[in-house]
Amino acid sequence: MNMNAVLLAMLPEHVLLLGIVVIVALAIVGRDRSGALAVAFASVAVAALAALRLAADGYAAAPFAGQFSVDPSSLLVKGMVLALALPVLLMARDDFEGVEFPALLLSSLYGVCLLQSADGFATLFLGLELMSLPVYVLVLLADRRPQSAEAALKYLVLGGTATATFLMGASLLYGASGSLGSDAFARAVGAGDGLSRAAVVLIVLAFFLKAAIVPFHAWAPDAYEGASVPVTAYMATIVKAGVLLAVVRLFGKAQVSSPLLEILAALPLVSIVWGNLAAMRQPTLRRMIAYSSIAHAGYLFYALLGDGAGRLQAVAFYLLAYALMNLLAFGALPASPDDATRDRLDNLKGLFHRSPFAALVLGVAMLSLAGIPPFPGFVAKFLIFRNVIAAGHTTYAVLGLVGSYLGIYFYLRVIQFMFMSPDAAVADVRPAPLARIATAGCLAAALAVMVFPGWVIARL
Amino acid sequence: MSDAAILNLVLFLPLVGIGLLIAAPADDPVFVRRTTLGVTLLQLALTAWLYARFDPHVAGLQFETRIPWIPTWGVYYQIGLDGYNVLLVLLTALLGPLVVAGAFTAIQKDVKLFYAMVLAVQLAMLGTFVAQDLFLFYFFWETMLIPMFLLIGIWGGERRIYATIKFVLYTAFGSILMLAAVIYLVWSLQQTTGITSFAFADLVKSRLPLDVQMILLAAFALAFAIKVPMVPLHTWLPDAHVEAPTAGSVILAGVMLKMGTYGFMKLGFPLFPDATREFTPVLTSLAVLSIVYGACLALVQDDIKKIIAYSSISHLGYVMLGLLSLDVIGVQGAVIQMVSHGLVAGGLFLMVGMIYERCHTRELRAYGGLAKLLPVYSVFFMVLTLASVGLPTTSGFTGEFLVLLGAFRAAWVPHLAGAQLPLVLAALAVSGVVLGALYMLRFALTFLYGGSKAPHQPLADLGARERAILAVIVAAVFALGVFPAEPMAKTELAAQSYRQLVATSRLPAATVATKQMTGAPR
Repeated sequence: MNMNAVLLAMLPEHVLLLGIVVIVALAIVGRDRSGALAVAFASVAVAALAALRLAADGYAAAPFAGQFSVDPSSLLVKGMVLALALPVLLMARDDFEGVEFPALLLSSLYGVCLLQSADGFATLFLGLELMSLPVYVLVLLADRRPQSAEAALKYLVLGGTATATFLMGASLLYGASGSLGSDAFARAVGAGDGLSRAAVVLIVLAFFLKAAIVPFHAWAPDAYEGASVPVTAYMATIVKAGVLLAVVRLFGKAQVSSPLLEILAALPLVSIVWGNLAAMRQPTLRRMIAYSSIAHAGYLFYALLGDGAGRLQAVAFYLLAYALMNLLAFGALPASPDDATRDRLDNLKGLFHRSPFAALVLGVAMLSLAGIPPFPGFVAKFLIFRNVIAAGHTTYAVLGLVGSYLGIYFYLRVIQFMFMSPDAAVADVRPAPLARIATAGCLAAALAVMVFPGWVIARL
Repeated sequence: MSDAAILNLVLFLPLVGIGLLIAAPADDPVFVRRTTLGVTLLQLALTAWLYARFDPHVAGLQFETRIPWIPTWGVYYQIGLDGYNVLLVLLTALLGPLVVAGAFTAIQKDVKLFYAMVLAVQLAMLGTFVAQDLFLFYFFWETMLIPMFLLIGIWGGERRIYATIKFVLYTAFGSILMLAAVIYLVWSLQQTTGITSFAFADLVKSRLPLDVQMILLAAFALAFAIKVPMVPLHTWLPDAHVEAPTAGSVILAGVMLKMGTYGFMKLGFPLFPDATREFTPVLTSLAVLSIVYGACLALVQDDIKKIIAYSSISHLGYVMLGLLSLDVIGVQGAVIQMVSHGLVAGGLFLMVGMIYERCHTRELRAYGGLAKLLPVYSVFFMVLTLASVGLPTTSGFTGEFLVLLGAFRAAWVPHLAGAQLPLVLAALAVSGVVLGALYMLRFALTFLYGGSKAPHQPLADLGARERAILAVIVAAVFALGVFPAEPMAKTELAAQSYRQLVATSRLPAATVATKQMTGAPR
């Protein structure tokens, strides 16, 4: 084991760890707790820069062979996900005092980073749990509401089920192949024996649970609603990204064939349709985004139907566009002293007349999530379905596109509320300055992706 | 500055305008209106310059720009003018300032957003016309929905939300299947020729089996036919037109409906020539059905906006008839008819808006004898009515006459060969002219003559701003009616290339060989 490689290859992780240590030390010394968020922000920013810098240098290393390796594309994805966590931290300034939120968030991010480098099931398991466990607590942190406790418990139980399913699958895989490496999984995908098939299906189902694919989605709306807005934003963007990127990495270049193909197409398709239909009737933005994210998880899993080489590119670009839009939506949401009713869609009525900028930004986010050009969501959707058609699954692609059509209505409904309805009788509080900086940053990034999608795609 | 740069400037001037509006003081509607008018006038001036510079003797693209946009997919930012789009670009630029000026008094709510949306829709429409890359085309095509959604939904009438959501859901459904077809088409081009490209010039080289062509054309045709709209996919149009503010109606009738027919002409038919010939009987029948059915519905409407809305369905049926005739004269007629309809229906919607601002009702029966009450208004209205009917010396005559001429010329050979359907359809299409005269004259008679009545009296006749707007439209209507040779010359090469593309079979090489051996018609 080369110590230099361990230091350099895990530099982003080390920076996060350092951040956690500093935050915990601050908590013990106990003088100025408000500095914790700044420390977290700095360490995430440095970690992101480190990952991007290493990616730009074309750095590749495998300090723990068979368990942990980095290459430019995984480093790039790591840097992207870390950078997307920055707005979440900025948004959280008003909702969370103290050290719990920053420390937990950094731990979760550490898990997300591990997932992007996992080559074996031990690291993969570690990453998944490290990513998820802090989030259960983060949901609970919005402790002013009883729903939060219920939501956190539901999330915890179902997360535990996913873990159990995952471990079951992994042990079956070990039984079938005698190996716990990712390459064993890729071989099992192509294998025809019952044990391998059962292992692969169980592992896929565990990921379906984590990503909230119908019929394993029921936890998502409650968890999203029970959490406070920044945590919801984190779950909808970074956690979802972590899960999906891990799946894509695990599948590698393995070609999906029947009967796994049917599972990987049918459940995401049902997710797209059901997520989009159920979202139409939701009273709050958080619940609506939860169903929207169920549908988007469907599109993202569709990417696995495409050829191996283009999967990571498609998923990474999609996640970039999708996460930016969710962050924009949550960042632009008017602040309110009452977190529980802050995002009622009825309160958004007439928002354009009260705060035009917030309404425009939310509108852009909705249209982009609906996949309507010129916004980046369109190119992202195009990229996924292009790969699916190129792999020869035209029927699934058409069905998925028709399913995505069903989603247009509820996104437009938000715009209708903001621009076309008479004012709701609420006094909006302007988002805090830091939240506005986060929104502006996301908007600038989204516009850049919109104007130069080719530049971004060429690098992923 | 090169002409290609000017074309880019024309396209993106609306963005500059939107930037100016954002920077404008919040409560200064006068500044907002003048800025927008200035931007659209500049746009018109530059477009007119390009139109004058457009060389009718050059086949293919002029003033072309081609920059890689998403290089890994072969997507280019490629725009240019050709015989297909040059007149439509001019029409769009001409209607721009008229729409803006026409809304000066009507729009008092959210003025800034309104003009920003008008500019945005202008950008998207021009972009759709000048795009020479299928990805870019689709990009602008779909972008158009957003500003239109807001224009109808915010400034529309009482049922505006219902109308605007219906409009978006209708058009988006067509587009989503078209998106699948676009992806499939590009992918199969890559499979068969190795070229990864969205450029129209490359896509018309694709060779696809007949069944694939038919499915893809069906997907494209659904999107385009909804936009035209062709019966039976027209039911969104009356709602959208009635509920839209005047500016929205003018944009919709003036330019946006032509997106559908332009799509058929530029993409749908040339990309899938063999499927087009298979579908010609069905599509021609639907075109004639649109002509007759639209006219019949216009005959019984009591809402004056609905009369014009249904007349649009009828008039765009002629465009489809001309395109499907595959006769150079008929195709040129179709283009002229598109421009003519844009001017006439746009003008009529503006006039309806003007009377609505004064009387606040669109009930036909509420009006009568406006000729005495509003003499200047009535003169303009009569001219536009006659242009809509297709009286010689107006643009309506040029368009309809050329289309019918082309349809009969195209029907003659099959007639001699024993196939009577094309001739019967062409003959039925003529009845649309008679019906058109009936419903427009019924409209004008009730409106302008008979006992004087109007919900609000006394009425002020047209002011200078309104006269100027209508004078421009009437001048253009006569120009196109009296001197059609000049604009027709600019479309001639395009019409020939269109005919050439659609008439040439592009089945895969092997299939063509077997067909020739078995003696099937090419």
